[in-house]
Amino acid sequence: MTFEQARDYLLQKARAMGVDAEVLATHTRELTVQAHGGRVEEITQATQGGVGVRVVVGGKTGYAYTEERTLEALDWVLAEAHENALLQSEGGGFLPEGGELGQHDLLGEGLSAPLEQKRQAALDVEAGLRADPRMRQVQMTRYSENETQAALGSTRGVWGAYRNGYSALMAYAVMGQGQSLKQSFELDVSKEFHALDPGRTAQEFIRKTGRLLGARPLKTGRYRAYFEPKAFGPLLAMMGMYMLSAKNVLEGKSLLANKIGQKIASDIFTLVDDPTLPGGLASRPFDAEGTPARRTVLIEKGVLRTFAHNSETARKMGVENSGHASRSYKGVLGIAPTNLFVEPGRGVELDDGIVITDLMGLHAGANPISGEFSLQALGLRVEGGEMAYPVENFTVAGNFLELLTHITALGTELEWNPMMGIVGTPMVEVDELSFAGA
Amino acid sequence: MLAEALVEEVLQRARMGGADYAELYVERWRRRALRVLSGEVKEATSGIEYGAGLRLFYGTEVVYAYTNDLSPESLLEVTETLVKLKGSAGQVDAGGQGGLDFRKAVAQGLHAPQIPFTAKDKRYRLERIREAEAGAQVGPQIKQVQTNLMEWDQEVLVATSAGTWAEDRRVRTRLYVTAIAQDESGMQTGVVGPGLSMGLELFDRYPPAEVGRKAGLQALTNLRAKPAPAGTMPVVIGNGFGGVIFHEALGHLLETTSVAKKASVLSDKLGQKVASECVTYIDDGTTSHGWGSQEFDDEGQPTERTVLIENGVLKSYMVDRLGSLLTGYRPTGSGRRQDYTFAPTSRMRNTFIAPGTTPKEKLFEGIEYGLYAADMGGGQVRPGSGEYNFGVKEGYIIRHGRIEEPVRGAMLVGKGPESIMRIVAVSDDLETGAGMCGSLSGSLPVEVGQPHLLISEIVVGGQA
Repeated sequence: MTFEQARDYLLQKARAMGVDAEVLATHTRELTVQAHGGRVEEITQATQGGVGVRVVVGGKTGYAYTEERTLEALDWVLAEAHENALLQSEGGGFLPEGGELGQHDLLGEGLSAPLEQKRQAALDVEAGLRADPRMRQVQMTRYSENETQAALGSTRGVWGAYRNGYSALMAYAVMGQGQSLKQSFELDVSKEFHALDPGRTAQEFIRKTGRLLGARPLKTGRYRAYFEPKAFGPLLAMMGMYMLSAKNVLEGKSLLANKIGQKIASDIFTLVDDPTLPGGLASRPFDAEGTPARRTVLIEKGVLRTFAHNSETARKMGVENSGHASRSYKGVLGIAPTNLFVEPGRGVELDDGIVITDLMGLHAGANPISGEFSLQALGLRVEGGEMAYPVENFTVAGNFLELLTHITALGTELEWNPMMGIVGTPMVEVDELSFAGA
Repeated sequence: MLAEALVEEVLQRARMGGADYAELYVERWRRRALRVLSGEVKEATSGIEYGAGLRLFYGTEVVYAYTNDLSPESLLEVTETLVKLKGSAGQVDAGGQGGLDFRKAVAQGLHAPQIPFTAKDKRYRLERIREAEAGAQVGPQIKQVQTNLMEWDQEVLVATSAGTWAEDRRVRTRLYVTAIAQDESGMQTGVVGPGLSMGLELFDRYPPAEVGRKAGLQALTNLRAKPAPAGTMPVVIGNGFGGVIFHEALGHLLETTSVAKKASVLSDKLGQKVASECVTYIDDGTTSHGWGSQEFDDEGQPTERTVLIENGVLKSYMVDRLGSLLTGYRPTGSGRRQDYTFAPTSRMRNTFIAPGTTPKEKLFEGIEYGLYAADMGGGQVRPGSGEYNFGVKEGYIIRHGRIEEPVRGAMLVGKGPESIMRIVAVSDDLETGAGMCGSLSGSLPVEVGQPHLLISEIVVGGQA
């Protein structure tokens, strides 16, 4: 049985049972080629898929999913989802009305190069890294690609499908100079295999990591902070999106509750989410409930305009649905950004402070509920407008909402970061933050 | 889960295609997850995960494939594709001929649940969750309580061309309570999440009301806490989940995944002193009902108790099959993977610092000014440079040897080998805690543990 047949079976059976159901079926193909020591050490080829169902019975919602496509498993899924729904005491659940959304292809022929070229790309990244005499260890370099087909259907008329994917090059290595060692990674992602450039990936790794060698301890104190996009993007994705999710607002977990229309960030800060961005890595024609994609300005010149919504949160708060529903077949209805970005500014002039190149330990040191963060960082000391020397073994701490109000300048160029969602930011200057070190 | 004849055919075809070792991993999971927020069931979900991973070795080169179509046609097609990927189709290796004689090993049920996945109805689960919620209501400032209950029932088969046939069943249950306290000063959290390899009898080991109460009290403590200080100072780390520091600073550096490539600062150091003498560090896959315990690893090897560091001297690494081929070290039953979508690598199981002899109170004596990290959050490490960090969930200032006011938002950072040398005293009150560890082969249940211990100096990241 194919995943599409499984979807159709589940919808048909749900109708017969007289319950509302929404079925999401996805099917993914993956390829990774990992190089080490001038040879391909590991190749992985894979197919994976599953069907997930959201059932609504009398305003109560339940979920279940399966990767096993036997009739027995599919029947179990509907029975469990139904039983799970009845556990809810609160009503108010519903499936949005929808229609035909069409079949979309957002990937095209982007991955259609022969395997041999992909193997070579992974090998070329490694060769590029090893060309630098400061390279101590290349743990691995990797080419990977992913092609996903998603199909959505509901008893409320939603019906649509799309195909998406990406290819990526990754470098993971250690550089050294004397006793000083720095480990890092570089990740380049594109929808087109031919847009990847192994030489560029290696060079970027070397440039970004090489400048951190010979780092000195940083004296504890308050400094101006210049966040590079690779450092600011993940922090924004984790803290900002958590607080902007209407689901977290409704559950009393967001510091931004009741702040719509208020100034929450610096005048120069505008935050946009745009699933319609041509070629965007997170672009998609509709969200996980079938709401058509559109651009949303979340924060405009420092003023909070809207939260990110799905149909459920929009109805509860009595506002328009922004189309940010997310769900994997294994998951539950949530909220997620697509191509999230900070509008670039007029440029940052380095004066005196710390350029933060990397933030580490986000999952332990950043609490999106309290807004507080204290994170291990790597960076460069800037003195008199010049990068003076690299610094290490320190943390940077603050409150994310305070940080937003203290942004004093934004760089002119947007850099996209695929590490935690797809987030684009320019360089971000914050007038003062707390640094702990020696 | 699969017919022996089919397993045998897959492995044989792989061998005939030139692979010198073939391993088939098959699993079927049933999972349940329940999230309850302040009395309301927010999401209840159930799932079946089902798939197979086939790994072929050509010397130390590996090809891996996975699929969740386990029909004979699909599995044989996957095998052919893999053989072709390696470019060795049409080759016939005589080693692949003749039948396979499997030595069948079935789990003895050492960690088997008393209350299995199918027992008790969902209402029962909900009632027990409500006890956790009630327990968390320790003050009017507690505004929200979120409770997650996760239940996993995993059946695994690993069969190899060397005749291994291992069947394991792993049942795990975890209760995870987040309490949110709020007043005019802001919003703070308290988190407690015990988990063990067992069924719902987890509730007997960790009464939900008590778990909730701890989370509530921690949230209140953080609410009245001042921001943590910044700077380098002595730190006493609490027992139990405090062990996450050595999971990051030490454990990951001892996995052959990095050791084999000399990508760990602790490569080639067997027999050498790598930590302070009071440190004995053990990774034990056999702990009864441990969150990270299993009878076989995901390469079909029986798990074992591995002494990694004894009195400061490095005794063993954590070794998987590939790591063993690359380094010559004996496999330690440490090959693990999140699920069939990952090839296994060497990973931790239940890892802890063995108890020492210093009474807990003595650790604080003589500290003029320092931090008591009573409970820890997660952490992270880069094995190549040894740089690690981890967050303090509940902390207090130590002044003149006494535990004084609470502080929040501290993060400890350092370089692995340095801070291990700076452990100057270890107490005798070993406890363990459940965590999820993310690495190359996915996200895995692991236990971390330690007694209270004293680090003479470490960077505390707080407010300057």
